[in-house]
Amino acid sequence: MNREKYSRQILFREIGESGQERLLRSRAIIIGCGALGAAQAEMLARAGVGFLRLVDRDFVEESNLQRQIMFEERDAAERLPKAIACARRIARINADVQTEPVVADVNYKNIERLITDVDVVLDGTDNFETRYLINDACVKHGKPWIYGAAVGSYGLTMTIRPGVTPCLRCVFEKIPPPASSPTCDTAGIILPVILTVASIQVTEALKLLTGSIEKLHGGVIQVDVWETSFHRVSLQKVRERADCPACRHRRFEFLEASLRQSALTLCGRNAVHISGLGDVSLDLREIAERLKPLGEVTLKEFLLVFRVNGYELTLFPDGHCIIKGTEDMALARSLYARYIGI
Amino acid sequence: MSVTVRIPQPLRRFTENRDVIELSAGTVGELLEQLERQYPGITERLREPDGQLRRFVNIYVDGEDIRFLSGLATEVRDGTEVSIIPAIAGGSESVLRC
Repeated sequence: MNREKYSRQILFREIGESGQERLLRSRAIIIGCGALGAAQAEMLARAGVGFLRLVDRDFVEESNLQRQIMFEERDAAERLPKAIACARRIARINADVQTEPVVADVNYKNIERLITDVDVVLDGTDNFETRYLINDACVKHGKPWIYGAAVGSYGLTMTIRPGVTPCLRCVFEKIPPPASSPTCDTAGIILPVILTVASIQVTEALKLLTGSIEKLHGGVIQVDVWETSFHRVSLQKVRERADCPACRHRRFEFLEASLRQSALTLCGRNAVHISGLGDVSLDLREIAERLKPLGEVTLKEFLLVFRVNGYELTLFPDGHCIIKGTEDMALARSLYARYIGI
Repeated sequence: MSVTVRIPQPLRRFTENRDVIELSAGTVGELLEQLERQYPGITERLREPDGQLRRFVNIYVDGEDIRFLSGLATEVRDGTEVSIIPAIAGGSESVLRC
């Protein structure tokens, strides 16, 4: 171990030399490398967590740069997938850290494989469907995971230790419907709240990885950086009382859900996201050849961009696709069927 | 007689941006009725049309989830602190499924 590199962290008694050694041997996954995920990745990499799996389905855009601290102008210009951009930056920050970028949609087919060989799971997602899937997989395999979300200047976080604390479904029984929670497009978002929530999540991860279990905060933390308010509600009594399908009855409804290709409107981006197909790996070169006579094709290392009739389709190897130029999901599906046809 | 209600940011557009509101009531249900009288529209975000608490919104009375107390009939008294915590998704995507 390079003691000099981590000397200030080793001086922090709660971590010390043995804690640092544990961190270097630890494995973490960050699911979603947007604002929260990029901040988590930066902090975990600098702390010397030995292995980071970075999962994201999107590419870097200019509007991300205000809050997604791992990305730079040129990543947006190159449309680099976020997972790849994160891994490249980590290689420049700390060579002790091994990364595994995964450019894919997380779904019921791959989630268990992604989480079973890590010590902790960090939530950097932006939707409840993926979170309930993470929750099911983590409860099933006994993996701790750390929920975090932010909007405006407000954030929420909670640490889940299956079998010990309440899980996400004990606390929030149902997925909120679309209109009920403000998203960044209606409420906006500022970076300080992202860094605040990510800092609490990463601190919890460091406690878990170094064995400071008794120091975990054990509740739901609500923070508002604009109002300067910080509030923790204890969840001590929730678990024993909740009749939870996941952690009490071990019924994993989100893991068992059969795959249905879903479409999702990306508000504010005039775009629709079409989900991937699970365990496929498309030959983008072959698809590029096929599409060339029909429109303008740009083949990049990790994705393919196809422009036709004012629409722009960005296709990834696992089959997921972002279609710009419409918010009409039926139209997006038909464009996908016509041109990608899988 | 006053109960402290903490309003999370997503609901503050109903409360003229106030984050803490003092009300007097005997139960959580009465508290919500008062809140609605003072800030019309707010409880529609918290309750189903049949009046039940929405299942992605939690209300804590002195740190205890009212689902495991007496629900909307849970008693509150002078000095009680009530927190409202709705689930938030975050991110820039809105979840609109077809």
